[in-house]
Amino acid sequence: MKSQITFVMDGKITTIDFVREKRITPTTTVLNYLRQLPNHKGVKEGCAEGDCGACTVVIGELKNNRILYKAVDSCLIFLPMLHGKWLITVENLKSPDGKLHPVQQAMIEKYGSQCGFCTPGIIMSMFDLYKNYILPSRADVEDVLAGNLCRCTGYRPIIDAALYACSNGGYDHFTEQENSIKDYINSIPKDSLQIETDKQIYFRPTKLIDAIELKNKYPDAIVLAGATDIALRVTKAHELLNTVIDLSEIDELKNVVEVNDEIHLGACMTINEVKKNINHNFPALFDILRVFASNQIRNFATIGGNLGTASPIGDTLPVLLAYQAKIELQSIDGKRIVPVNDYFIGYRKTIKRENELITKVILPKQKNNSVVKSYKVSKRKDLDISTVSAGFKINLKNNIVQDIILAYGGMAERPKRAQATEDYLIGKSWTRDVVEKAMNLIQKDFTPISDVRGSAEYRRTVASNLLLKFWYDTKIIE
Amino acid sequence: MKNYLYNESAEFHVTGEAIYVDDIQVNEQLLIGKVVYSPYAHAKIKSFDLSDAKQVKGVHAILSYKDIPGHNQMGPVVKDEPCLAEDEVTFVGQAVFLIAAETIEQCYEAEKLIRIEYEPLEAILDIETAIAKGSLMGPPRYVSRGDVDLGLKNSKHVIKGELRTGAQEHWYLETQVCLCIPGEGKEMKVYSSTQHPSETQALVADVLSINRNEVVVEVKRLGGGFGGKETQANHTACWTALLAWATKKPVKIRLFRDDDMIMTGKRHRFLTRYEAGFDDDGKIQAVRFELNSDGGAATDLSFAILERAMLHTDNAYYIPNFSVTGIVWKTNLPSNTAMRGFGGPQGMAAIETVVDRIARYLKKDPLEVRYINFYGIDDRNLTPYEEKVENNRLYLIYNQILESSEYKKRKKEIDEFNSQNEFYKKGIALTPVKFGISYITTFLNQAGALVNVYTDGTILVNHSGIDMGQGLNTKIQQIAALEFGVTLDRVKVNATDTSKIPNTSATAASTGTDLNGMAVKNAIDIIKTRMSEELSKVFSEKYPENPTKPSAIIFDNNEIYDSENLDRRMSFTEATKLMHLRQVSLSSTGFYKTPNIGWDKLKGKGKPFFYYSFGMAVSEVLVDVLTGSYQILRTDIIQDVGDSINPGVDLGQIEGGFIQGVGWVTTEEIKWDGKGNLLTHSPDTYKIPVVSDIPKDFRIKILENAPNLAETIRKSKAIGEPPLMLSLSVWLAIKYAISSIANHEIEPEFSLPATNEVVLLSIEKLKMRAVKKSIA
Repeated sequence: MKSQITFVMDGKITTIDFVREKRITPTTTVLNYLRQLPNHKGVKEGCAEGDCGACTVVIGELKNNRILYKAVDSCLIFLPMLHGKWLITVENLKSPDGKLHPVQQAMIEKYGSQCGFCTPGIIMSMFDLYKNYILPSRADVEDVLAGNLCRCTGYRPIIDAALYACSNGGYDHFTEQENSIKDYINSIPKDSLQIETDKQIYFRPTKLIDAIELKNKYPDAIVLAGATDIALRVTKAHELLNTVIDLSEIDELKNVVEVNDEIHLGACMTINEVKKNINHNFPALFDILRVFASNQIRNFATIGGNLGTASPIGDTLPVLLAYQAKIELQSIDGKRIVPVNDYFIGYRKTIKRENELITKVILPKQKNNSVVKSYKVSKRKDLDISTVSAGFKINLKNNIVQDIILAYGGMAERPKRAQATEDYLIGKSWTRDVVEKAMNLIQKDFTPISDVRGSAEYRRTVASNLLLKFWYDTKIIE
Repeated sequence: MKNYLYNESAEFHVTGEAIYVDDIQVNEQLLIGKVVYSPYAHAKIKSFDLSDAKQVKGVHAILSYKDIPGHNQMGPVVKDEPCLAEDEVTFVGQAVFLIAAETIEQCYEAEKLIRIEYEPLEAILDIETAIAKGSLMGPPRYVSRGDVDLGLKNSKHVIKGELRTGAQEHWYLETQVCLCIPGEGKEMKVYSSTQHPSETQALVADVLSINRNEVVVEVKRLGGGFGGKETQANHTACWTALLAWATKKPVKIRLFRDDDMIMTGKRHRFLTRYEAGFDDDGKIQAVRFELNSDGGAATDLSFAILERAMLHTDNAYYIPNFSVTGIVWKTNLPSNTAMRGFGGPQGMAAIETVVDRIARYLKKDPLEVRYINFYGIDDRNLTPYEEKVENNRLYLIYNQILESSEYKKRKKEIDEFNSQNEFYKKGIALTPVKFGISYITTFLNQAGALVNVYTDGTILVNHSGIDMGQGLNTKIQQIAALEFGVTLDRVKVNATDTSKIPNTSATAASTGTDLNGMAVKNAIDIIKTRMSEELSKVFSEKYPENPTKPSAIIFDNNEIYDSENLDRRMSFTEATKLMHLRQVSLSSTGFYKTPNIGWDKLKGKGKPFFYYSFGMAVSEVLVDVLTGSYQILRTDIIQDVGDSINPGVDLGQIEGGFIQGVGWVTTEEIKWDGKGNLLTHSPDTYKIPVVSDIPKDFRIKILENAPNLAETIRKSKAIGEPPLMLSLSVWLAIKYAISSIANHEIEPEFSLPATNEVVLLSIEKLKMRAVKKSIA
């Protein structure tokens, strides 16, 4: 059983043996695997970094006896992540009798393809839409398709096709196959994977304790859950990842629980899962998750992963600072809970010890008198990395600032609060005059750099202006 | 019976069955090729050693310029582009070595073991430096009319300024790719994603030092081109052919996205200087333009692009005293190249800026200034290069769009909104496009076809054009079916193949359907004439007293009949069988050249264009004053396409071209560092529009009842490029929103693309200037 994975593809069980296969490794991407097969050339490489969606496939996951359909960029996931799953490619969309799928038919009739190169990926994202939304709105369509670049059509016919196709409740020939697929998936053993080849070792434990022990034994191992960031080290930097610990199948890390006044999010909850669970309580987090990468990435990227990467421009980080979130870290020595504010210590540096794993993100429920807002400024609204992002929290009493948190991303080597500005504002009236004075202090709090995403001057100006925007967005409430 | 008008490849697209070069099944001998390129913008190559790299397991060949059997040259017009660098590199991304190995991993491994010593030299990385150093690509070009100096002197008002327009990456979804399969002797089969197979064939033959009759280039379809594969697909083809030649094995090179973006040229960035004189009404008396184009390290098509830019600095406006000087500057960047619009966008951005500024200067609605300067119908209708603007549809479109877009009412509402909102501002703009159709280089306006009819009544059409997604093959299929009077299921359009149609022009300049449609029609006419003559004999056999005239024979509805004797008829299929038995050829070539055009580039005069295409757009935007971000609320477009052959395809070209233009004027920003390294080398940092960036309300109309009065195929008009420039409406709507901050009293600083950063910094400067002004 070692060195093998098993999954469902083309309606049957497929097994890959990494020791026998010459041209496949445990960190071969699903895209590169498919492109090697003679009958799966429909999947295209457009960028190999998850920014174009031409390689989109759909993964069927069995959860609580239901099949969940999730689009993903196949350039960003490694083969072992398919174990126990159903891989659906564009070649599978026609029904067995040769009839086109409704999304395919609609794309033809609405002139949704021109050069056709992005089309298979668009079809697969539209298939995700078809299976997950009943009568989607235009906003839903944009949400699901923003991860697919098309350079020919101008998208209007694609939007039309999506709205036209997704009108019959998601029923299709996949619905009819589900029972037999479930049997296939259930026949695949759920135990941990340990794939060893002469150059690599890839673990996919199913229990947290096993993962903790592995991390203790292999402190240098690459830890991943969605792989959406780690995969770039393979596809773009051509690194060989020697030891990988894949947390994507640890159910204990995917739960959301309410404990007293806190929401505990399992670190391996995907961004889309978090988005579904926090809407009412944490609207500012919800807002930022809506513009987090693309649907394909949100389906696999995890909240813990965003903290693990610890990029100074990680989308969730400033707003987690604003919500005064905490992080649970676990190792063989036990667990500890640290405020997000103490977690980041430098450029991609955190206080996480090398044998620790991020296991939870804890969000304290907000008191009624506080308001949290999040802002993301990027060159393009969707599928872009922020130039400046912010998570702000304010607590007013009689229009006097009781507490304020002004957390910024993209302004320093790590997500950081504007300490001097915060100190200045506490105890002052929340008026435009005061805010305009405070805007000047932002310049003292940060010395941003100029880079490809924006100049220092732009960053400084935006950072100050966001404070004014926050005032504007909060001034009416009292 | 299948008679739909959808894209002829759509079913293959949506099922993933469509075959692109990278999808072609090849035997196990296939090797993967990789290009090793310069990390320096300008350097001497002092020495190199490939011996260690060649030892890597699985590596079959590593080539340097020394291994090129033929000419080390791949310049398309001017021979100034070495295929592999010799003793000097002149841009980051210039090819130096080629590797062929069994896997891409082996290529990476070998690349690391190549030893090369560079001596960096001073590099020119922007237009200003090139101007300062006099780094000319060639002599300047001029077009002029009247006396600009006098015109300016006599004008009541004169404005002067400078405009920067940015580069643009093509971002075809399918990167440059080529597969070469050596045959017997010197034969080389080339599967290339090229817009110009004949040139690819010629350059492959040249670098291999073989005759062109040994090289066959076949192109089924492109995963997007947009001009980026007009000349620069040749490069990948030459490199692949060299490796296939050296190894005697099939070799494929597909550029990795980042490498494609680093190695290939872009839309030319321009630095434009202008001076314009006008009267109180805004009527333009005189304009002087100086267009400075960044050509990059080699000539490529830079001069043709410059010419088109120069010939579009008038856009839709009659300017009595006019002069434009065009200069291409040589820099140490990848050679810039064709991109949809081909200089037209840069030229139009310049004159639209002038018109917009005049309006602000005179405190008029820009609409009025545009209107009074439009080319006239009966007078004021001669361009500065002396081509008459015939069949002027500007007024027709203007009146229609003014009404359908409710421009005036909305502008009032926008001004009202702006006066009441401090942190959000709206803008609106109407911009016209008049775009000349034909290659300005007259001889290129030619195309060939080869039409075969088989004895089962089916037709195979070969033509010299390339389907890169624009729907050319769909239109050709329709044209062939209509001309033969058969249903679409009888007609198949073949892959473009240099052994079928020789010596072709690129598919470019929006001319694909105009030229190839006519060539196909010509071939069909020849076959139909032969068939009609023979069938008239067949039909007459029983009626010697009342013979069928060949001219009375009609092809329609899968039948052929005598229109004067309706009982004399035969199915198309039956007729093809009969023709074969009666020894009539059912195959013919066809040819077409655009009539009555000509251009004297030295004098800057002539009739370069067969006709003009017209269009207009009205766009409305909402700008967030605090962040500089914005969204397009609504765009209305009316576009002249003549009689549309396929409205679905034409609409797709209009909205697709428009959105590509929106990318150019908004988020698509190319940045290099101080050493000539491209910083925006992947979609992570280079942002083309996504689905949520298009206008929330997007209303596109094809101008109705407007057949082309020039004799084109089925009275249609070219459509590939003109709509791209309608995106200037978005750019100027953003400017209007910015300008409203100072109550339209101060000219905002503005450039293209108007990224969030450009917008925000423009707003901040405007606010400061407004404060200063109020103090003063």
